[in-house]
Amino acid sequence: MSKSSRPQGGARAGRSKVDELRQAQRAKERRSRFILIGAVSAVVLLIAGIVGFTVYNDVSNRPTLDAVKTYEVTRDHTTDPVTYAQTPPVGGNHSPTWLNCGVYTEPVENELAVHALEHGAVWVTYRPDLPADQVEKLTESIPDTYMVLSPYEGLPGPVVASAWGTQLVLTGADDRRLTEFIQKYRQGAQTPEPGAACTGGSDGDLPPTSG
Amino acid sequence: MTGTVGPDDVDHTEHRDDVVRETAAHHRGRGRLAVAALVALVVGVLGTLWVVQVRSSPPSDFGADAGFARDMQTHHAQAVEMAFLVRDRTEDEEVRTVAYDIITSQQQQAGQMFGWLVQWGLNQTGSRPPMAWVGGEHAAAHARPDGSMPGMATPEQLAELKAATGVEAERIFLRLMIEHHAGGVAMAQAAQDDARTPAVRTLAGAIAAAQTSEIQLLQQMLDARS
Repeated sequence: MSKSSRPQGGARAGRSKVDELRQAQRAKERRSRFILIGAVSAVVLLIAGIVGFTVYNDVSNRPTLDAVKTYEVTRDHTTDPVTYAQTPPVGGNHSPTWLNCGVYTEPVENELAVHALEHGAVWVTYRPDLPADQVEKLTESIPDTYMVLSPYEGLPGPVVASAWGTQLVLTGADDRRLTEFIQKYRQGAQTPEPGAACTGGSDGDLPPTSG
Repeated sequence: MTGTVGPDDVDHTEHRDDVVRETAAHHRGRGRLAVAALVALVVGVLGTLWVVQVRSSPPSDFGADAGFARDMQTHHAQAVEMAFLVRDRTEDEEVRTVAYDIITSQQQQAGQMFGWLVQWGLNQTGSRPPMAWVGGEHAAAHARPDGSMPGMATPEQLAELKAATGVEAERIFLRLMIEHHAGGVAMAQAAQDDARTPAVRTLAGAIAAAQTSEIQLLQQMLDARS
């Protein structure tokens, strides 16, 4: 015991050398472990950051339909002219005949178009002075069926999208909310008579008045 | 003596250290194994939950179920329109009857598709172009170069039908409807293979069978009028 408590110089020197090496080895191991943990953490944080930023960016840039207005409207048939509360109308009493869906280059009768809205069409209207390339863009960007496109005098914006009981004023043909509006409201949940025809009606002429 | 005690001592210490290190390594190894097992368990449970969730959740907005339910409604709507047009343009009972059959059956089928989308909580209008849901192996069901669905009549062809009467209208209708059915069969076969909802696959199969058989009938009627 006493012997080992005072070891000879050579052995002590050898042991401390070994200890030193061991310590150095441990320190090295610890260092590389820290580097590994640090690197992995950095990569994880980086990925989380990129994902977070992408999601945030996507959500904050997504067009919203917050500006869509909704209205309570009546839906009786009449052959008399109707005065509508909205421009263009989003519903209300209307002609017994509906407007055939499609692209119109001249204004259409409100009483016919409102009946098409009742059947689930989205009616896109534009100011008559909208540049031709914008009109072309509107024509190309809308689905082939259950859509009406027509010029309209006195709109509250360059382009207005309407569906039964709903309306959204748009900034132009490039407004990304148009696609969102069409996806939600074309044959959407607000439609009183979904699947009713958007063909076989009128190409623009009102039926004769009953009076 | 000193020369022997020293190294001996060191040897012992080293041996002890080795044992300690081995034990530590052993513990560490078991610890790692436990962590790995736990991770595997968590991944397995989450994976199973995910599969169950995907299987029981409604079809996605981009899949064959929703794509077929949307596109076939549009496709059927044009068949109904053409059948009405020919009924208003001929007195021929055979053509008027087949048109009546097409109107009622296809309008009812379109209603089923509408109902599915409502139940799945999906819009009737998709965010992708027509036929984008069709896989590469169903080339006949792909959209045509102008972006339209297979078999759809063009606005010019519809105008031609609208302008005709009598046997001329019958011939145009039969030609257009044979083409329309051929496209419809290709779409229905794609849905039969790719849709995951049994009700969708069943209706798609029924449409493919009915329209395949009706093409024969329409062709016979067209031959008789040529």
